[in-house]
Amino acid sequence: MRQPPYQLRPNKAVDRLTLIDAIRQFRDAHDLREYTYYGMGGPWLEDFRLIYDFYPEIRMVSIESDENVYRRQQFHIPCHRVRLDLKRTEFNSFLASFGPEAGKSIFWLDYLWLRYAHIDEFMTLLGKVPADSMIKISLRCEPKDYLEDKKRKEFQREFEDVLPHPSVEPPVSFADLAKLVQEMIQIAAQKALSSAMPFKFVPVSSFCYADGAGMFTLTGIVCRRTDESKVKSAFRSWDLRNLSWGTPRLIDVPTLSTKERLHLQRQLPRGNNAGRTLLHALGYLIEDDRPQTEARLQQYADFHHYFPYFMKAIP
Amino acid sequence: MSKDKPANPYQSVDATPVKSFFVHMLTRDIRLEDAILDLLDNCVDGILRAKLTAGTNGKKAPYDGYRAEIEFRNDSFTISDNCGGIPWDLHDYAFRMGRMFDRPSDAPGTVGVYGIGMKRAIFKMGKRCLISTQNNKDAYDVEIDPDWTNDESKWRIPVHPAKKRLTEDGTTVVIGDLYPGVASRFSEDAKAFESELERMVATQYVLIIDKGFRVKINEHGVRARPTRLIFNENLGMNGIRPYIFKARSDGVDVFLAIGFTRPIPSQDEISQEQEEKKYSSLDAGWTVVCNDRAVLYCDRTELTGWGEAGVPRYHTQFIAISGIVEFRADDPAKLPTTTTKRGIDASSALYLQVKNRMREGMRMFTNYTNQWKTHPEESRKHIEAGEPLSFEDIKKASAGLAFTATRASVPSGELYKPELPAPRKLKPNMRRIAYIKRASEVEKVGEYLFDDAGTDPSTVGERCFDLILKDAK
Repeated sequence: MRQPPYQLRPNKAVDRLTLIDAIRQFRDAHDLREYTYYGMGGPWLEDFRLIYDFYPEIRMVSIESDENVYRRQQFHIPCHRVRLDLKRTEFNSFLASFGPEAGKSIFWLDYLWLRYAHIDEFMTLLGKVPADSMIKISLRCEPKDYLEDKKRKEFQREFEDVLPHPSVEPPVSFADLAKLVQEMIQIAAQKALSSAMPFKFVPVSSFCYADGAGMFTLTGIVCRRTDESKVKSAFRSWDLRNLSWGTPRLIDVPTLSTKERLHLQRQLPRGNNAGRTLLHALGYLIEDDRPQTEARLQQYADFHHYFPYFMKAIP
Repeated sequence: MSKDKPANPYQSVDATPVKSFFVHMLTRDIRLEDAILDLLDNCVDGILRAKLTAGTNGKKAPYDGYRAEIEFRNDSFTISDNCGGIPWDLHDYAFRMGRMFDRPSDAPGTVGVYGIGMKRAIFKMGKRCLISTQNNKDAYDVEIDPDWTNDESKWRIPVHPAKKRLTEDGTTVVIGDLYPGVASRFSEDAKAFESELERMVATQYVLIIDKGFRVKINEHGVRARPTRLIFNENLGMNGIRPYIFKARSDGVDVFLAIGFTRPIPSQDEISQEQEEKKYSSLDAGWTVVCNDRAVLYCDRTELTGWGEAGVPRYHTQFIAISGIVEFRADDPAKLPTTTTKRGIDASSALYLQVKNRMREGMRMFTNYTNQWKTHPEESRKHIEAGEPLSFEDIKKASAGLAFTATRASVPSGELYKPELPAPRKLKPNMRRIAYIKRASEVEKVGEYLFDDAGTDPSTVGERCFDLILKDAK
């Protein structure tokens, strides 16, 4: 599937920065020099650029199967290959040779689609990473994919092993589908690391967003069962936390000019009713009506730290 | 030399059972999910007893109006039903460890044989239990506490009159003081455990739920997904219908049907299943039912005849083939099940005889699949010309079929072999082309040609050929 360029995916850009922030939360308790980041960074390696900018001590490995994307990655590599190893292989082949001896890991399984094979890879990975590793998984979450009766039946058939109820059908609302996908990930995690095992997968954040097609993304930590409370306390003060499989948070940032953003930023941070305050500061609607505008501006207030500036530049 | 026998220096030995045998050892032989299903079996046996005394009460489906509700939390497990309760005159069977030889027979069609299921399930989960039951005029509570479990001399369990009468006859079992491993599964693994338990109930009680029984797990109703086989009811022509065999042998009724549940898969579907696990084979294979309980569900191993005696091993290309074989007996000891009632006794003479028929049916449908795999679209038309019928509906519809008696084989019975359509041979001037390309590239070409990246790969390939052919001409 052809994706729009990253500068046209502001919500995905926010999501990327939430990963950077999640790593910041547990940095105090962990030595990042022991970590390797594994990602599927696409042609521009944007996530690798961010990791390198924020945490240069983390080693990085990119996994890419497409020959042309791989060549573009070689062109866009953000640092010396001593820090970033570009591997050209299918992810499941990579996974077959990966083991806990590779050391503590941060994985971003950044999939384009929602397939059982992806959930299967996630489950395999859970059993392979050492304790204190972070895993983020992104999956397509688009209700339009399941409008036809045939597609809904295929969904049930394909995901039966991880559905909360065998008869559940993919919901028509984006938020409900995101919740279902999260439940499927939760079941997959409980199956891969059951209570009889010493390790557990603890969620730390989950989001849904749509830059065109809907996406769901969840980040969690694989830890020793006895360390669960330590993991939770490391993230307890993080605004974006989701430590108990609660409802995924929507990322739906508004399209604002730089001038508007700078103007609004003077009002932030705000506690309650940030949307209403920002609308008042702006003085005009940016959506069809007042509630929608307030909701979008509330999104801006929630995520403005993570919202990059896309600038036009003369090369 | 004295003719007297020397005095026996040995005394008789104590062979009375110890509690830990029941409490800690027998429980190792069964999974937690299966133990819970044993409790559900008791509910269904209760229905059969209740029906024996009360009749069907005009209910359309045999299990209509009966329900069981399961709830688990990190500190307790509860199952409650309205299935008639445990009559006081059955207390010796219900609460003793094991079944006496001289016990009178139970209601026809029950599955309890060994008198161990409910007790084993309780001991599997926790140290404390309260069983409250009401059957007609009898209403009493039976309480097991940790002292009883630990005291080797204590074999009698106190029984008290129930504190209040229920609106319907039934039984509630509450288990507390859960073992840590069980409590973890009910809390830390709760989501996955509930999902797996619901899947097991939906499959193993598929016929019973289909006949009206209602089961809830943590307040969520379980929906059965019965296997439906394609049945072309136009009896005047050849078409896709199941292979059916029925017999009665030594007090056991057998009814077997195997056929297609869906069109046979195209080559693209088969490769996708293998490469991406996109399609699931969960519906394919044999379901073996004993007195309405599915003891095997969609099995695809040698146990049900796959991969032996001329039947190919299960492969994704056989995803459309599914069969059901039902054994029904008034005396459950005659059924070919294992002691756990969750598996088939593969050495049972009756099962081995019936398995010959199962393999014969499989060979018909695997042959059809092999013959038509290169023409899946044409085969789809045959299959879609029929209606998917449930097992009970197949039994009814089979009344109009021409069965032949099979007296020469064991067990003797009646057989219906469908005449499945055979493909015409490929014309001599036609050639088949097949090739493999990267999925992302096929999607790209699909998008280019049809504005749809998800276009079927064979359609994409065929269009590419047609375009080049047009240029070549």
